[in-house]
Amino acid sequence: MKLLAIIQLTVRESLAKKTFIAFLGSSTFVCLLFLFALNLDIVNGAESYISIFGSGPDKLFQLDELIFGIEGGIAAALFVAGIFLSLFATSSLIPSFLEKGTIDLLISKPLRRWEILLGRYLGAVAIVAFNIFYLVVFSWLILSIKTGIWNFGYLLAGAMIVLTFAILYAFMTLMGVLVRSGPFSLMLTYLIIFFTPFLLQRDQIYALLSNKFYGYLLDGLYHFLPKMAELGNITSQLVQGASVSSWLPLVTSLGFGILMLFTSTIIFSRKNF
Amino acid sequence: MNIIETQNITKHYSRGKIRALEDVTLSVQSGEIFSLLGPNGAGKTTLIKLLLGIVFPTSGSATLFGKPISDASSHGQLGYLAENHRFPEFLTAKQVLFYYGKISGVNKADLQKRIPKLLEQVNLTGWENTKTRKFSKGMLQRLGIAQALINDPKLLFLDEPTDGIDPVGRREIRDLLKTLRDQGKTIFLNSHLLSEVERISDEIAILKNGRLVRKGSVDEFISIKAQFQLQLVDEFQKAGEICRQLQIPLIPQNGHFLISVRDDTQLNHLIDALRTAEITIRGIVPRKISLEDFFIDVIEEKEDATA
Repeated sequence: MKLLAIIQLTVRESLAKKTFIAFLGSSTFVCLLFLFALNLDIVNGAESYISIFGSGPDKLFQLDELIFGIEGGIAAALFVAGIFLSLFATSSLIPSFLEKGTIDLLISKPLRRWEILLGRYLGAVAIVAFNIFYLVVFSWLILSIKTGIWNFGYLLAGAMIVLTFAILYAFMTLMGVLVRSGPFSLMLTYLIIFFTPFLLQRDQIYALLSNKFYGYLLDGLYHFLPKMAELGNITSQLVQGASVSSWLPLVTSLGFGILMLFTSTIIFSRKNF
Repeated sequence: MNIIETQNITKHYSRGKIRALEDVTLSVQSGEIFSLLGPNGAGKTTLIKLLLGIVFPTSGSATLFGKPISDASSHGQLGYLAENHRFPEFLTAKQVLFYYGKISGVNKADLQKRIPKLLEQVNLTGWENTKTRKFSKGMLQRLGIAQALINDPKLLFLDEPTDGIDPVGRREIRDLLKTLRDQGKTIFLNSHLLSEVERISDEIAILKNGRLVRKGSVDEFISIKAQFQLQLVDEFQKAGEICRQLQIPLIPQNGHFLISVRDDTQLNHLIDALRTAEITIRGIVPRKISLEDFFIDVIEEKEDATA
């Protein structure tokens, strides 16, 4: 119950920040746009005719391709912009609760320190999960009810996006505990997001370098850091209903997240405030 | 029973460059108001933070309720008002107490009963649904006290509880603390307002440069040994004669006399002699100084000693 109270308090604090309300408002706007703009005429079952704001296309679409495309587009937007914005909106949650006058009160309560930090982390993940699933489930219901195509892979993609956020937020939590600065933690996390896709080309990078050490370093970084490009691919494959080529990037990225969270709680438990 | 005990507790920061506390050994008994005094930077807040597990000792040990301070389970029985505490500004007073109560492990039914009573006790009735961002410093301080009491603690740590509160509010808080003590709660107080401390404390400790320099009851510190205020109705000249015979200095002061005796026996001889001479004694009162004077004496005395 005590842990739940910390989670609830974090969710309330997140909601008090207007970013999430804006996020929620934008999601609602997008879904309402789908609801009113998408007019579908079902022709011969699988073959359908679609009109957007009343004007029809020149040729018939494969309906399922269109729906998978729309859902893939939303998932991709959420994977990139959604995570980007969510990290921005939650970046101050850890440093703000570590401020004097706030953390003292929390530590004086009958909770172990790791519970306090975990509650804060879960609260941030919970509010982001709510925002992402709000858009995913809402848009999924509209598209599925209108077309009769129920793509459950799209929901799994929503879960993938939340997991990716949770992995990155674990890193941001560690940085928050270490340096107590939201902007600094955010910049380092963004660096991971933009840097790790380049590691897929590490063989080509290595070919340009003479020292063997760089090869080991790039390999090490690739295996240690979350694999953003591969996580994006898994999300896309889930939406398209294709079989996922490998779950290993997800497993190793989750390992990274767990390690970051574990290290955060160890450091937090030994810190003077 | 000692509710708080520390044994040579020491806290250094920056690898020993800052010595916040040095070998502090003290105990606090259950059911008393214990006040920690000291100039700024003496280590008062550090000691409270050590006891609450907010900072960790460099060496030494301490217990709360007989359990090591590292054991957070004892925190269920204590309340804490931090100096410059911050509450989430988006919450109302009622919500602050609700969430902090839940974090303290109090169930919803108890909270619903307790919150209105606490708000009434700290004079915040009518403000329960106002967001704390609209609260003044004094109101936040009152809310902080209510928060510290939300789990009906046995031990209360209050760091500058009257900070930012007007004189009337201070008196109300003083009365509240006395009531809490009468209910059997132990109060560990850290305050700069020596007149407040003097009025309510059972025991005080003075810290200077991280070291414990005095500890004892307030009366013990503010009473001046063997000095009394002698109040007579008349016959002042006769009384002067008797004092001269007994070699007791008699100094007139504001309509009464100040006397210094060797011991209680000499004081009783004086009373006997005065009564034999049929001099009416209105009162004999032990001479006291203010806690503020005593505190300044202690701080300066130590400075002289170290100079």
